[in-house]
Amino acid sequence: MAEKRRTVSRRDLLRGTAGAVAAFTFVPGHVLGGVGSRPAGEKLNIAAIGSGGMGASNINACSSENIVALCDVDDKNAAGTFNKFPNAKKYNDFRVMLDKEDKNIDAVIVATPDHTHAVAAMACMKRGKHVYCQKPLAHSIYEVRKLTEAARQYKVQTQMGNQGHSSEEIRMLCEWIADGAIGPVREVYTWSDRPVGGDPWSDFPIMARPKETPPVPATLDWDLWLGPVQYRPYHPIYCPMQWRGWWDFGTGALGDMGCHIIDPAFWALKLGAPTRVEATTTHYQPEVASETYPRASIVRYEFPSRGDMPAVKLTWFDGRLLPPRPKDLEPARRLEGNGAIFLGDKGTIMHGSHGAGGVRIVPEEKMKAYKRPEKTLPRVRRGQAGHEQDWVRACKDGRPASSTFDYGGPLTEAVLLGVLAMRMKDTPLEWDPVNLKVTNVDEAQKHINPPYREGWTL
Amino acid sequence: MKEQKITRRSLMSAAAGVAAFTVVPRHVLGGAGQTPPSEKLNIAGIGVGGRGAGDMQELESQNIVALCDVDWANARGTFKRHPNAKKYKDFREMLDKEDKNIDAVMVATADHCHAVASMAAIKRGKHVYCEKPLTHSVYEARMLAQAAREHKVATQMGNQGQAGEETRLVCEMIWAGAIGQVREVHVWTDRPLNGINNVYWPQGVDRPKGEDPVPDTLDWDLWIGPAPMRPYVKGVYNPFVWRGWWDFGTGALGDIGCHAIDPVFRALKLGHPISVEACCTRVNDETYPVASRVTYEFPARGDMAPVRLNWYDGGMKPPRPPELEEGRKWDTNGHLYVGDKGMMLGNRLIPDARQREFGKPPQKLERSPGHHQEWINACKGGKPAGSNFPDHAGLLAQVVLLGNVALRPALKEKMLSTKLLWDGEAMKITNLPEANQYLQREYRKGWSL
Repeated sequence: MAEKRRTVSRRDLLRGTAGAVAAFTFVPGHVLGGVGSRPAGEKLNIAAIGSGGMGASNINACSSENIVALCDVDDKNAAGTFNKFPNAKKYNDFRVMLDKEDKNIDAVIVATPDHTHAVAAMACMKRGKHVYCQKPLAHSIYEVRKLTEAARQYKVQTQMGNQGHSSEEIRMLCEWIADGAIGPVREVYTWSDRPVGGDPWSDFPIMARPKETPPVPATLDWDLWLGPVQYRPYHPIYCPMQWRGWWDFGTGALGDMGCHIIDPAFWALKLGAPTRVEATTTHYQPEVASETYPRASIVRYEFPSRGDMPAVKLTWFDGRLLPPRPKDLEPARRLEGNGAIFLGDKGTIMHGSHGAGGVRIVPEEKMKAYKRPEKTLPRVRRGQAGHEQDWVRACKDGRPASSTFDYGGPLTEAVLLGVLAMRMKDTPLEWDPVNLKVTNVDEAQKHINPPYREGWTL
Repeated sequence: MKEQKITRRSLMSAAAGVAAFTVVPRHVLGGAGQTPPSEKLNIAGIGVGGRGAGDMQELESQNIVALCDVDWANARGTFKRHPNAKKYKDFREMLDKEDKNIDAVMVATADHCHAVASMAAIKRGKHVYCEKPLTHSVYEARMLAQAAREHKVATQMGNQGQAGEETRLVCEMIWAGAIGQVREVHVWTDRPLNGINNVYWPQGVDRPKGEDPVPDTLDWDLWIGPAPMRPYVKGVYNPFVWRGWWDFGTGALGDIGCHAIDPVFRALKLGHPISVEACCTRVNDETYPVASRVTYEFPARGDMAPVRLNWYDGGMKPPRPPELEEGRKWDTNGHLYVGDKGMMLGNRLIPDARQREFGKPPQKLERSPGHHQEWINACKGGKPAGSNFPDHAGLLAQVVLLGNVALRPALKEKMLSTKLLWDGEAMKITNLPEANQYLQREYRKGWSL
């Protein structure tokens, strides 16, 4: 008995798969009475899958906890993080890591390229690990739906990496909209200067698939980098940086930034699933268009009425295209590189990127005259800078984080539906969100759940 | 003796007896010299390869007496077609030497030379057919329109669609009230890209390094004309692909705008806009962007409501209207007129059932004998051509080219904060003084308008 009790470790409790049933990785948390919570003073044991780039920053933000294991397919790209946490075990294959470290890990940060989010995050949740996953939640709409369902099923604490969702401003926006500050909203413009960003020249490749086959660097496991995607030879144009511009790996400017910039509208207007999406893009040759995202796109969403809120048209512009200047915007008032404008029956609100940053009613005189409502929504400690720690807290006290998969999943589905519309450019897609079905364009359906490479499953 | 010298040719040149004074306006002499309809015009061509070759063929019913091109390789086809025409590289030399032999001039150089060539011809009292866009800058377009009026020459810009049935139908449909008041128009093109398979010419690229030997058949200095000198690089500028370069071409908007916006101008009786707003993909000081959106606002005209004209290029399109039936093509180039009482895609109401119900509008406009023929007739004393500079093309080109000012890379940061407010009468951007420098450009030494 004493021995048995010993095996019910703190670790098991935290994972939500306590004690005697630890071996059954599919036992959902709720059967066991919910995810194990932990005394406030104790630290989580966190692993990461994808430790360079954005992952490095997410891991650092969790360094209050024990970083026990780090995984990356690219030793070079991950070197900074690997060196920073010398005591963490290092892995290239997250499947090996999860097998070997299963008992030592409470929670996992997933910050791989988009195309491996789902397989990694799902493997963690199936083992009862809490998951922080970068945005967009996954690469295909089907994957997103499955991750959302799995998070519920396994009762793990989740957080999507749209850190703006923890901000003060996004809550202010929600409260103002609910207060009727600009009346019912029927039209929203959202935009991003990506893929160009602040630089005069884009970093996103817009090209046909390269034919040359340079050797794979010794520090990179190319096969693992590809993960569930169909095999193709290594080329530095894909990794470590430029995968975002390729259909097979990234989700383009919209996938990259949509989860930040559409997020405030999605929350404040309770948008849910669109009924219709249409995109137009710059033209390019089929051998290029079948491989990489366009230089610029305009994506037009239609959301149905929700409760007492009227139907909304939401338009996305990228590649430095901008929405028309609304009447309420003062002359000389700048449209920032990323942002959104809400056109209400009684006024206009504008904000910037990431969690409605800089949210204002426009013109400024209306902002100044506005009597702000009570703050009713719960705030996140340290706002957007506290996004990772909000998840750490959730893992410890069992109260959901700000952007759980229950929220981030539907947001990502909407975003990825826009990405799909870009593939089917100039063709409006009618969407059945219950059955994940484009009801009017058969051709579109094959992109909802593209097949994995042999050896990979969700 | 004196009388003998006053030939038919010198009469037609409108400077009879005073042929030496090249700037004597026609009205001083009692109007433009006219060729009787039964006689043929003597026409010279400046820029006769590419589109110019096509224009010269359209004018073959007349006498083709002189041909000028800075690129004799590109002009070879036209040169061969007219073995008796005198051949030149420098249009200034041609106009000097052939002054007495020419009634009319066709100009189809690269955009950046349109104005200097056309103006030189107009000042000599020659009738001018000039390819679209009329000029490279707003200022040049205005100057050409003024000069054409002063010198009373017959002019025509090369937007041949204006002579077509389509343009007339658009006007007649809208004037018949088919869609009520029109408050919004969308015009779009896939240029500079050609469908999804090809590129007409590159935009969004940087200037190549290096220099190639100039072919013997090309006079690079003359090709550059009034633009700033730069090294010749094979295949990058000449022929044709100069369109993408700020210094030489006018981008997708300049290329297609004078075609595509023309029917909108006529049907809605547009004048100068009050503002222009623009955004585009990455852009540098060398080439136009890959895609842009430009929005013009026009004030009310008589009983016609204010209207917004939205231009898209690079393959971007406006939203497909629900009125367009499932399965109908949503083309890569098009016009959508949005009225209070309906929509027209091109010259037809959508859905098509509405067009069938509406039927044909009453015919109000005279039909054209053909775009080039209009000009030929005008040169011979007939009525002014449909896209003559003073009444139509000068204004249309100014408005189109104003859109390019709004796309200027140096203004891009400012354009995030404003639109350009336009005083058309004064030819002035009123809210962003530094933008005015792009209405006109400084010529290279030795060149003037």
